[in-house]
Amino acid sequence: MIKKKICLLGASSVGKTSLVKQFVEGIFNEKYLTSIGVKIDKKIVSVKQQEVQLMLWDIEGYDRYNVFQGKYIRGASAYIIVVDQTRNSSLQEGIAIHALARNISNVPAILVFNKSDLQANWHLEDSQINQYIALFDRQFNTSAKTGNNVEEMFQAIAELTLKE
Amino acid sequence: MNSILLDVINALQQVVLEVIDSRTGEVCHIAGDSKWMADLFPQLHGQRSFVIDDHTPFLHDFLIDAQQVWQGDSNTSLKSGFWTEVAPNKRELHLEATAIRYNTHNILLIASLTEEFKIRQNTLQSARELLLSNDRLIEQNEYLHTRLLAILKEPEQQGDILISLTKAIEYTEFSVLITDNKLNTIIENSATYALFEQKQHSSTLTEKPIEIILNLMKSQLPEFDRIMSTKSGWDGELCWVLPPSTLKWLKITFYPVKTELNEVSNWIIFTNDVSSIKHLVQKSEQLALQDMLTKLPNRFSFLQMLEKKIISNKPFYLLYLDINEFRSHNEYYGHQGGDKLLIDLSERIGSILTESDYIARVGGDEFTIILSDINNQHDCQIILDKILKCTDKPFISNKDENFNISISIGVASYPNDTSSVEELMKFVDLSAYTGKVKNKSSVQFYSQSIKDASLHVIELEKELRDAVKNHEFELYLQPIINIEQDSVQKAEALIRWNHPEKGLISPIQFIPIAEKSELINAIGHWVIKSACAISKKLSDNGYKIKISINLSPPQILEEELFSFIHNCIKEYQVEPELLEIEITEGVLVNDYVIAERLLSKVRAIGMTVSLDDFGTGYSSLSYLKKLPLDFVKIDRSFVDDIVIDDNDKAIVRAVIAMAHNLNLGVTAEGVETEEQLKFLRKNYCNAVQGYLYSTPVRFDNFLQFLMTFNKTIKS
Repeated sequence: MIKKKICLLGASSVGKTSLVKQFVEGIFNEKYLTSIGVKIDKKIVSVKQQEVQLMLWDIEGYDRYNVFQGKYIRGASAYIIVVDQTRNSSLQEGIAIHALARNISNVPAILVFNKSDLQANWHLEDSQINQYIALFDRQFNTSAKTGNNVEEMFQAIAELTLKE
Repeated sequence: MNSILLDVINALQQVVLEVIDSRTGEVCHIAGDSKWMADLFPQLHGQRSFVIDDHTPFLHDFLIDAQQVWQGDSNTSLKSGFWTEVAPNKRELHLEATAIRYNTHNILLIASLTEEFKIRQNTLQSARELLLSNDRLIEQNEYLHTRLLAILKEPEQQGDILISLTKAIEYTEFSVLITDNKLNTIIENSATYALFEQKQHSSTLTEKPIEIILNLMKSQLPEFDRIMSTKSGWDGELCWVLPPSTLKWLKITFYPVKTELNEVSNWIIFTNDVSSIKHLVQKSEQLALQDMLTKLPNRFSFLQMLEKKIISNKPFYLLYLDINEFRSHNEYYGHQGGDKLLIDLSERIGSILTESDYIARVGGDEFTIILSDINNQHDCQIILDKILKCTDKPFISNKDENFNISISIGVASYPNDTSSVEELMKFVDLSAYTGKVKNKSSVQFYSQSIKDASLHVIELEKELRDAVKNHEFELYLQPIINIEQDSVQKAEALIRWNHPEKGLISPIQFIPIAEKSELINAIGHWVIKSACAISKKLSDNGYKIKISINLSPPQILEEELFSFIHNCIKEYQVEPELLEIEITEGVLVNDYVIAERLLSKVRAIGMTVSLDDFGTGYSSLSYLKKLPLDFVKIDRSFVDDIVIDDNDKAIVRAVIAMAHNLNLGVTAEGVETEEQLKFLRKNYCNAVQGYLYSTPVRFDNFLQFLMTFNKTIKS
């Protein structure tokens, strides 16, 4: 079976772990519990009658307590930059992480605006957001809480890894 | 292996593996029988050696980094960092691997660190919740502030403004108060009533929210009077106690809304209840008195220390330091960038202080320093020089760009200046504010004259504001003569203030105050409008003479400046070719990118650009080459002695040659004698300006001058 390493990157508390939990176990936990280090979950998806095992590397969020470590992206087939659409700064941080990751790897990258069940709070012009979106292969609005678009997003990334 | 050692390894929840082949990941089990081992390595099956493969992808990946350790020559080790595996029984294993090379042995040690993991998780949980709360608070405040400013500055009917304001603030989670210039509340949102525990529309209020806030600021903020008198903003935390049961920590942000004449039209006050954040902080005793960002003592800790120092009755110096234009820095680099600067700055300053000194962060970009073992100004100056030197070196932004900052320091001495905590704080704050110079670091020791000077500035600013309202300014014109054609080519527009009591006041006296008080934009607008009116009148009289307008450095930063110029040109129906902008070199050094953008735009519509005072400041040939310029003006200081001083002769010749090579015209300023004119003519200078032809004169006198100047080209 084909195995693909996918990294979830982003600022802390944007919902990376919740996205994985929703996708793998169909569960959402309202209480925020910060991730430490790395946790890898696996799930098999089907792409054009082909089974692909996604190895989802859920990596501790980057902030002043945890700096970006390029080594985790090594060998990844794609990565997901997750941002919290209620927090402008998480988008800026996500873009900065994308820039750092791009120095190391040129694999497909998806931008995920998570927490779509909440009111968006960008305070940014649409044109500015579109400029950011243009830096990625795909963009999704997801809600780890309701499950909205989560499956679709992971399916899309599986497909992107096979295109390469 | 010794059985005690084995017990220790098991007790520590560790597994020791010896690496057989670092490339294939083949290892041999040496010690450690923790239960989780079989869950982690199902391929073990009772064998001693096995291969670490992608069943444990994190560990498998770590082997790549570990090879550097195992293939090296020296005794060393490398940790993997925490990772989590889920055992078949769904139990989470929190593990860390260490690659070790010791005496030619290659070891892989794996430890289950559940307890350490939990401790780290708990610590970071609180820290990240705090970060999140702070981030949200800052983002919401900044956004709402921008929106409210836009509404308050809109030229709408008052009724419409109130509706717009109500819509903007009503559903905000924190308290928002908007007052008039006298601090009378115009509007407040529901969150205000909730925060201050009052019923909406109640007529039995004992103390209104605005009164509570002002009383807190007056009693807990020695800088309050200065903030109000200088119309400055402030943000910080204050403690509100209302017996018997209320104790709230309030983060208050106080913004002035100013008119073009630098008068306060409104105050916007945000109050956030940060008691829960404080509660999180107070879980740790250390954090309660510590600034979370820089880890320095916070304002309250500092005030306690200042009291202690005064009680000990030993002389000391108090420094109050703030970063100039910190708000602009935050806007450019984002507040994470601002945070990084505050941390870097605090570390730099901290590194040059001794153990007996004390540094605290007492506000957004404000630090205080107590220099304990110093009792004279000379020794204090030595430390100040070190602080200035260490802050003068470039900082690195979160975008990996180099940038420089400037700081303002106010200094007061105990007991020479005062023996009171409150006065010491007032004095250093006032000194830092008074000494502030744009784009330059400054140090100001407190003295009575500082207090007097600050009152004088406030008075002069008021007079200047009246001058704008009462039309007390006048533009004088000084002709610029094209010496190749012997014609009046341009006139420099120079502002004069006809003070009703003090008479004519030169711009040297009032422009610096206008620049500091932001009145410069209003005065600058008046100059541009008047210059356009003059240009129109000259055209109507048949003269095609270019009017040259001086722009002050702060004006360049005004976002709407180009639109304003463009609108004036349209309003007065002036040909843009008959207008010129004059800027000084200082503008280029400090705000090169902004200046370049503005100058390109004005040239695009047909205006010309002249570089004033060339040679006196930071002349850089690279600026001359890159900037969109048409003329340079040689400063009068080079022209004064041009006839007798060989150095000045050489400089002027070189400037003319260089400018011509760059296709720039050259105007010499301060030409007063025929000999100077002769020299300039001989060296192909294009134009001159000075008393030899005319002093700056009123419009009517300028017309007279034109009529008598024979060779003026009359269209």
